[in-house]
Amino acid sequence: MEIHEAAAGPGDGVLDFSHLNLNTLSVDSIREERKRDTKQLYLNHNRLASLPSSICFFSNLELLDISNNGLTAICEDIVGLRKLKTLIAKNNRLDEFSLPKEFGSMQLEVLNFSGNRFEEIPLQFVKLQRLQSLSLGGNRLKSIPAEIENLTSLELLYLGGNLITAIPPELANLPYLSYLVLCDNRIQSVPPQLTRLHSLRSLSLHNNLLTYLPREILSLVHLQELSLRGNPLVVRFVKEMTYDPPSLLELAGRTIKSRNIPYYPCDLPAHLLHYLDLASKCPNPKCAGVYFDSCVRHIKFVDFCGKYRLPLMHYLCSPECTSPCSSNPQSDAESEDESSVPADRLQRVLLG
Amino acid sequence: MEHTEVAKPETLDDLIKMLHEIFKSDNINVEEVQTLMESYESKPQEWKKFAIFDQYRYTRNLVDEGNGKFNLIILCWGEGHGSSIHDHTDSHCFMKMLQGQLKETQFEWPKSQGDMVQKSQRILLENKVAYINDSIGLHRVENASHTEGAVSLHLYSPPFQTCQTFDQRTGHKNTVQMTFWKGPYLGS
Repeated sequence: MEIHEAAAGPGDGVLDFSHLNLNTLSVDSIREERKRDTKQLYLNHNRLASLPSSICFFSNLELLDISNNGLTAICEDIVGLRKLKTLIAKNNRLDEFSLPKEFGSMQLEVLNFSGNRFEEIPLQFVKLQRLQSLSLGGNRLKSIPAEIENLTSLELLYLGGNLITAIPPELANLPYLSYLVLCDNRIQSVPPQLTRLHSLRSLSLHNNLLTYLPREILSLVHLQELSLRGNPLVVRFVKEMTYDPPSLLELAGRTIKSRNIPYYPCDLPAHLLHYLDLASKCPNPKCAGVYFDSCVRHIKFVDFCGKYRLPLMHYLCSPECTSPCSSNPQSDAESEDESSVPADRLQRVLLG
Repeated sequence: MEHTEVAKPETLDDLIKMLHEIFKSDNINVEEVQTLMESYESKPQEWKKFAIFDQYRYTRNLVDEGNGKFNLIILCWGEGHGSSIHDHTDSHCFMKMLQGQLKETQFEWPKSQGDMVQKSQRILLENKVAYINDSIGLHRVENASHTEGAVSLHLYSPPFQTCQTFDQRTGHKNTVQMTFWKGPYLGS
């Protein structure tokens, strides 16, 4: 069907050809001048099986919406749209093999491919240096590549409704990430490195497989929204703590460190010096203990702004090392003074 | 109470006028309000100016103050946005879908400490109207779509500024202040 300019409304840089039942798109009847002036082109809600190569004649295009068509691939010519900042291609039949080879060289800032068939985040996406917003909700993603850290301008990452089982620690290297959506996935744990996401304002983790959170999550100072419902979070105090007794090496190392026994490079072989350097301090602030490899995993409940009790994972130097305020270790839902978060820090916690 | 034939509101303004009429009386016929709201066929052009979406959470946009008898509010829900479980401070709550779909999960009032009991769950389709009040129970409303935003029209009578939110795992409650998106709403 030929497109006529009249169908699209007043000339203000916007061409709206959405909801027109189009099977193909022929833009020959549109004046060259009109094509050049067009900044936003809406082709969503049609029946396009492919994007025509003539798309490249819209040389000043900044926004293109091709959502809700039957697209299985995106043509090479799109790469010629050097000014394209926003590409919306929701609800098509696209996957990681649908993209043109040079897609990664585009100047895109906003990319929305939700409701498609991606099983992986393609490497072309992570090459988009200017990308601020990436939406891949409702696809078939099984994982997030470590290369996600290359998207240094990223502020919004929507990955809800996929099949993701783990979060790579490299995600924490995104300095501007403020909105992270990982709801409706199969995530079992959150890497403690995420505490480095200083800009994070909203974190959506509802409907996953989390049983606890790393205590580092309390350091996310700017976090205002956190959703955790629909996770099998541990409610009852975990009495059983897994603990492998320490080796002789560990015991000797602990003694040296905790009693401040002086040692010098000439006293010890290099591998033992290195080992002693690896000592970790027990996170219990009232405990001066250290540990090397042998530590106790302990689920601790922290009162989160008085709204609910979050099970957090702690490592303690020994089973005897407990929080000072736990007068009754058998009790349900202990609270931990030192880590209680002031109410103004977390304004909206959607666990409830 | 006799059943009055209600004329169909053709526009949002019609609907608001008819609601003002109905709410002149102190007795509210829930079915009448529900039917009236359901019979208005959503026309985005009429409410687009109130449909302000926020990246981080759902927004509440005041459309009409109902002469103090009710508040008419448009809520905009981005993908994945949802509310806490909440009550309605002894008021009527009508919720109509203007665009997209919302999932409503109803809960019993917590009687003891522990997981809250779910009563029902449904998807509200475009133009449909749901009703709830405190004697029916509590609910959580969420946009379960990962691809589409949703817009809903809410009527609360009498109007209220605070409500209680509940922790699903324990039943613990908290009183919260409800806020509106600060205007202005431009355009016609």
